[in-house]
Amino acid sequence: MNKGLTTGLIAFGSLTYLILTGVPIRLAQAALPVLAVLAALFFSLMLRRQGRESSSSELLASGLTAGVVAGLLTTAEVWLFSSLLGNGIKVQPIFDKIVPLNMAALLGVRAGAIIKGEVALGQYALIAIYLAAAGLAGSLLVLFTRSGAAARLRGVRIPGGRWLTIVLPFVLFAYIYYLGLSGVTAFGNNRNIVRLLIVLVATGTGLFALRAAQEGLVQLVTGALLAAALLSLPFILNQFQNSVMSIVFIFVMMGLGLNIVVGYAGLLDLGYVAFFAIGAYVYAFVSAPFSSPYISSLLAGMGISPDAPLLGYWSAIPLAIITAAIGGILLGIPVLRLRGDYLAIVTLGFGEIIRLFLLNLDELTNGPRGLLRIAQPTIFGAAPPDLTSHLDAQGWIFLLAIFGSAVVAFVAIRLNDSRLGRAWVAMREDEDVAQATGVHLVQTKLLAFAIGAICAGLAGQLYAARQINIFPENFTLFVSIDALSLIIVGGMGSIPGVVLGALALKGLPEVLRGVDEYRIIVFAALLIVMMIVRPEGILPSARRRRELHSQLGAIPVPAPDEGPLDEEIEGGRS
Amino acid sequence: MAPLLEAKGVTKVFGGLTAVDQVDLVIERRSIASLIGPNGAGKTTFFNCMTGLYQPEEGSILFDGRPLVGQRSDQIIGLGIARTYQNIRLFKGMTVLENVLVGQHVRMKATPLGAILRTASQRAEERQTREFALELLEFVGLAGEEDILSTNLAYGDQRLLEIARALGSRPQLLLLDEPAAGMNPRETEKMMGLVHRLRDEKGITVFLIEHDMKVVMNISEKVTVLDYGKKIAEGKPAEVRANPRVVEAYLGPGVLMDAPPKAEKKGE
Amino acid sequence: MEKQSLSKYLTWLLGAVVGVLVLWRIITVGVAEGYPTSFWISQGINGLVLGGVYALVALGYTLVYGILFMINFAHGEVMMLGGITGFFALQFATAQGWMDGSTTVVVAALLFILVTGMLGSVATGVALERLAYRPLRRAPRLVPLISAIGASLFLQYSVLLIFGVTPHSYRKPDLISGGIRAGNVFIPYTGLIIFLASVLMMLGLYLIIQRTKLGRAMRAVAEDKDTASLMGVNVDGVIVATFVLGSALAGAAGVMLGFHNTVVKFNSGFIPGLKAFTAAVLGGIGNIPGAMFGALILGMIEAMGPSALGIPTQYKDIIAFSVLVLILIFRPSGIFGEILSEKKA
Repeated sequence: MNKGLTTGLIAFGSLTYLILTGVPIRLAQAALPVLAVLAALFFSLMLRRQGRESSSSELLASGLTAGVVAGLLTTAEVWLFSSLLGNGIKVQPIFDKIVPLNMAALLGVRAGAIIKGEVALGQYALIAIYLAAAGLAGSLLVLFTRSGAAARLRGVRIPGGRWLTIVLPFVLFAYIYYLGLSGVTAFGNNRNIVRLLIVLVATGTGLFALRAAQEGLVQLVTGALLAAALLSLPFILNQFQNSVMSIVFIFVMMGLGLNIVVGYAGLLDLGYVAFFAIGAYVYAFVSAPFSSPYISSLLAGMGISPDAPLLGYWSAIPLAIITAAIGGILLGIPVLRLRGDYLAIVTLGFGEIIRLFLLNLDELTNGPRGLLRIAQPTIFGAAPPDLTSHLDAQGWIFLLAIFGSAVVAFVAIRLNDSRLGRAWVAMREDEDVAQATGVHLVQTKLLAFAIGAICAGLAGQLYAARQINIFPENFTLFVSIDALSLIIVGGMGSIPGVVLGALALKGLPEVLRGVDEYRIIVFAALLIVMMIVRPEGILPSARRRRELHSQLGAIPVPAPDEGPLDEEIEGGRS
Repeated sequence: MAPLLEAKGVTKVFGGLTAVDQVDLVIERRSIASLIGPNGAGKTTFFNCMTGLYQPEEGSILFDGRPLVGQRSDQIIGLGIARTYQNIRLFKGMTVLENVLVGQHVRMKATPLGAILRTASQRAEERQTREFALELLEFVGLAGEEDILSTNLAYGDQRLLEIARALGSRPQLLLLDEPAAGMNPRETEKMMGLVHRLRDEKGITVFLIEHDMKVVMNISEKVTVLDYGKKIAEGKPAEVRANPRVVEAYLGPGVLMDAPPKAEKKGE
Repeated sequence: MEKQSLSKYLTWLLGAVVGVLVLWRIITVGVAEGYPTSFWISQGINGLVLGGVYALVALGYTLVYGILFMINFAHGEVMMLGGITGFFALQFATAQGWMDGSTTVVVAALLFILVTGMLGSVATGVALERLAYRPLRRAPRLVPLISAIGASLFLQYSVLLIFGVTPHSYRKPDLISGGIRAGNVFIPYTGLIIFLASVLMMLGLYLIIQRTKLGRAMRAVAEDKDTASLMGVNVDGVIVATFVLGSALAGAAGVMLGFHNTVVKFNSGFIPGLKAFTAAVLGGIGNIPGAMFGALILGMIEAMGPSALGIPTQYKDIIAFSVLVLILIFRPSGIFGEILSEKKA
């Protein structure tokens, strides 16, 4: 009973949060049913723990209590707000989203009715009823999962389940082709968005397919076919869809690079955007020298015209690599002795400092006005989008991003299984012992920073080409957080995980454009929830999952845990 | 032949506490020597001074004529001293094999670029490293366990793995910090046999800290006793056992008076 | 001979270069500019006031770090929520006409606002601990840190959504507008009040930690969580109490900052939070008096820095960041050193 009460209160609190942030407005008439379903799921989760010890009737009672409590409280709240609004009192100065539309959505009436105060009491009661039902449904769900029927379901093996997973992405790809054919009118105006969504899902399922294919010939063939499908996409998607996919894969490059720093070497770098910015700005300097006052005058002084690019995209790559690597080493040197949280804060500080410099060193970077008219990558002097109508500018970038991701992934895979890769893992696990086992800490850490920086620099260069105009505001802290979230949600230490993360966190928000306001909140909540529930991510590397979940047989070792520096290990008691 | 290791006047101070006080110690080549003493005597601290984890305030330690003081621990292992830890510090997220592969880090020449390009020499080195790792695992008695996660090993096997990892660096001197701690008699026997084989088959000098007196008395050629950071006795096991100062330090005459176990079995 | 390494040399070299550059700049520009002494005194006072506010927030960071060894990234948001709650209390008080009443009434109203703000922060802090940190107490380092980052963002953008994007303005009642004039120096009343209030609260905290049973328990948990629980200390309770204390102080700071800056927004907590964290590290994280002094020093640097270095005031945030980076590189244990458990020999 008690548990039901608390659960109901927590549910009420969460519902209040959703109401205050305006979620019902977005859901319109579907608000109440959707919230009720969410509530039911929530109740079942909360009651699951109780489910083990209680009898069915106790469970149902708890569920009902929870639902009733939540229902009554929420109804009262909605009634309160509606009355205020109906009496012409503006709640908005305090709670921005408490407007008639919000209440109307919950009550299933029109906004006008709220304003006029013409809502029948029965309508309010509907909320309580829905939520009470949700409470019951929640406990029923728990009972079901406890029951024999559920156990039998879990034991059922879908014949050919593995093959289903493997074939699924191809089915989806076929559908994508289909939707691109002229004359197809499915989904009407939403067709492009839906098609993009399916592209994202198809790529995602492709990852699972690769995993299901396991090792051997099957995996090779599946991989080759998936690669072909992926490479064909830039040619069949439209400009907008290509632009989304190009940013997704640029972030795959970022994620893979950050994965090396954070996932392999265990160095929490929150200033990763700095290297992204270096790559972008350096390419912009050589590609559009006329944009930068300082560089223009410098070149003019040397007798070189600043109006044409100094270097093409491909020739600028070594430059990007070198400057990014130097940046990585410069960042790495001062932070070598710092640990965990302190490393994170300092790197965050560096990232911000770089951005502030970009903003304020007007002479060099043109400040907030940005660097403009950056050149596109060309092959033998010609840009493919100009040569064929099948490939637009964004598609070209998308294609390059796929290659870039493949290169970075290749490097990551090779390093993972090498002396350096093992040194990184050892260092991450136990720095002192790693050093005592022969790992040169300074070198190993700097290599991680440098290689990670190079990946970000390359991604930045491609990003500059994509954007054509870059501004300091493109390189905020959020880029670093995005990249980090990718790894965390997708799966730390694993390449498919990073791709999945990029698809989910960079691709989906584009599809769900309408809920832009909530993007960061959902992100943030996702971070917290993932840490609690599944810190290793959705598709982690096998090693990570073991690390974060292995409790059996683990002999607890006291961790040297004081201060920002790695202190010497305890001398023990001998 | 010159001794392998010579420590003179080694002193380590922490705030107000002198953990190691003017300790002189000599370890002969191809010997098995022990360091004993009650809890808090400074034994592990001394180990840490030898391996570069701590820098002593005074004194010098010469290994094969080369000074150790002032070197980092990764440099010292390069010189040929490897160690295990009192409270087992394996790389928990790595498999048994991976732990031993890392152990060889200091002897490998691979570069990041080589790894990315996977040159022929790179591949050859990886192959050799793997083979050597498997050999070492077999030597310590963990053959067949390569792919098990190191934390899932039985306690006694974890200690064996730590030794295998240390052997990866092809050391001349192996420091074992309480290798038999927490082991049952059978595992202890195995461990003693291993220590002997380390010296006899691999020519490695072994220096160990131990509390299990049966082990100490049985395998050591020389025993050094510390108490409150100072060396209070040194010599052959029998001499040390009879030394009243040592007995006093331990406050447990019964322990030292036990007869050593029957002649150990070589290996398994 | 201590460990010599190339990187350590390089770092110190870099530091020396930076130090010399800064000094040179101060001498050639700041001093040369010839600001009158009264200017410097004003700035200094500004600095002390700022420092007082930072100190209140820095104490929260230091307390939590001392006990949980984690940086509560979302502490700045706890402070911001105090400011927001205080804002609504202010609206309420204004609507009741208290802010225009007699001196006693206004003072009572101000106290009411302060307390409400503190309560708002406490609620946030406790929820934070319970939902985002407690489940992760035994997890590896990275995990609670990421959760904290998530919590910080979540709080910021929730406030943005719920309360809207318009900044909330804190109207100062006439009683505390204005200030004292001493020659050319102007000391605003708000500044005085903030400084005094900060000092009082810090004293209060210090007394609690040193003289009460709770304080003893807190110090025990900071020393060794597991042993403390074996000794009968309710570790969870102590941790909650720590969050309560730290958050209450931050809430007070949030309200005070609101009056001082006349405005509070959803991201009002982020930068001050970072600066307060800098102050805590400057003084030595885990060290309570250290946090106070670190905050005062940082406040002064921030107030006087731009003028001394001859750079525009927009750069004052960079100064704070740079101090943080420099301290962590050259003296991570802070000026006064960390007072965590005695070094285990």
